[in-house]
Amino acid sequence: MAGIKALLTLSFGAAVGLMFLTLGCALPVYNKYWPLFVLFFYILCPIPYCISQRVADNLDGGSSACKELAVFLTTGIVVSAFGLPVILARAEAIAWGACALVLTGNTVIFATILGFFVVFGSNDDFSW
Amino acid sequence: MSGFLDSIRCGDCECSAVDWGERRNTMASIAAGVLFFTGWWIIIDAAVKYPQQESFNHAYHACGVIATVAFLMINAVSNGQVRGDSYSEGCMGQTGARVWLFIGFMLAFGSLIASMWILFGGFVVPQKPVVYPGIAVFFQNAFIFFGGLVFKFGRTEDLWQ
Repeated sequence: MAGIKALLTLSFGAAVGLMFLTLGCALPVYNKYWPLFVLFFYILCPIPYCISQRVADNLDGGSSACKELAVFLTTGIVVSAFGLPVILARAEAIAWGACALVLTGNTVIFATILGFFVVFGSNDDFSW
Repeated sequence: MSGFLDSIRCGDCECSAVDWGERRNTMASIAAGVLFFTGWWIIIDAAVKYPQQESFNHAYHACGVIATVAFLMINAVSNGQVRGDSYSEGCMGQTGARVWLFIGFMLAFGSLIASMWILFGGFVVPQKPVVYPGIAVFFQNAFIFFGGLVFKFGRTEDLWQ
């Protein structure tokens, strides 16, 4: 069991990341809730990798076309989560300060999700 | 003279500590993903900044769509199927795989050339006041093209089971 400490660190990371996202929306000087759309990308992000771990039986830790496709799609989701706030700021729907806060929150959240998979994901039978 | 760069070493960095063999496919997939999706976000940015037909003719989006179709076609067939040494024949066999790949690459090169044409013929030569949409179309297609190349050739099939 990877330990309570890891779980604690990861949940703290998630809380800090969501805090940055919320600040980027809810601070009175910004007060625009468009950046909440990146939550969609946060939720989508682990899905391709989880599907590929279920579908392609992981033989001896070797790679497979399915896993690589999952990595490709996950990278795309991460890039999109960074691109959306920048586009919103360029379109002047949100302020650049809000964009910076959301990008910081993105970085922390994706580091947390990555940390979750590194710490908890390397089971042989990845089952719910 | 021809060998004068042979003795230059790139610095024995810790990159050799990473098992490049096993990680190569993952790294190539990540790089391809970054390139491909950055290309699409560039065009989304241009479409958001210049929504009018006069500054950014909406027909120019077709170029990126064809580039994406080409990306999917190129990466749908494995190199093993084209060489003829994979276990499963696929729907059309080796010749079919080769024709598919040929058409895929033709579409990819075609969309790259078309994006340059759009930039120069549609924006630079007519001296449009705003050239950014043309540059965005060009970079979108260039990124998608190179993303496709990296995804196709950056991975090695030796690592597949």
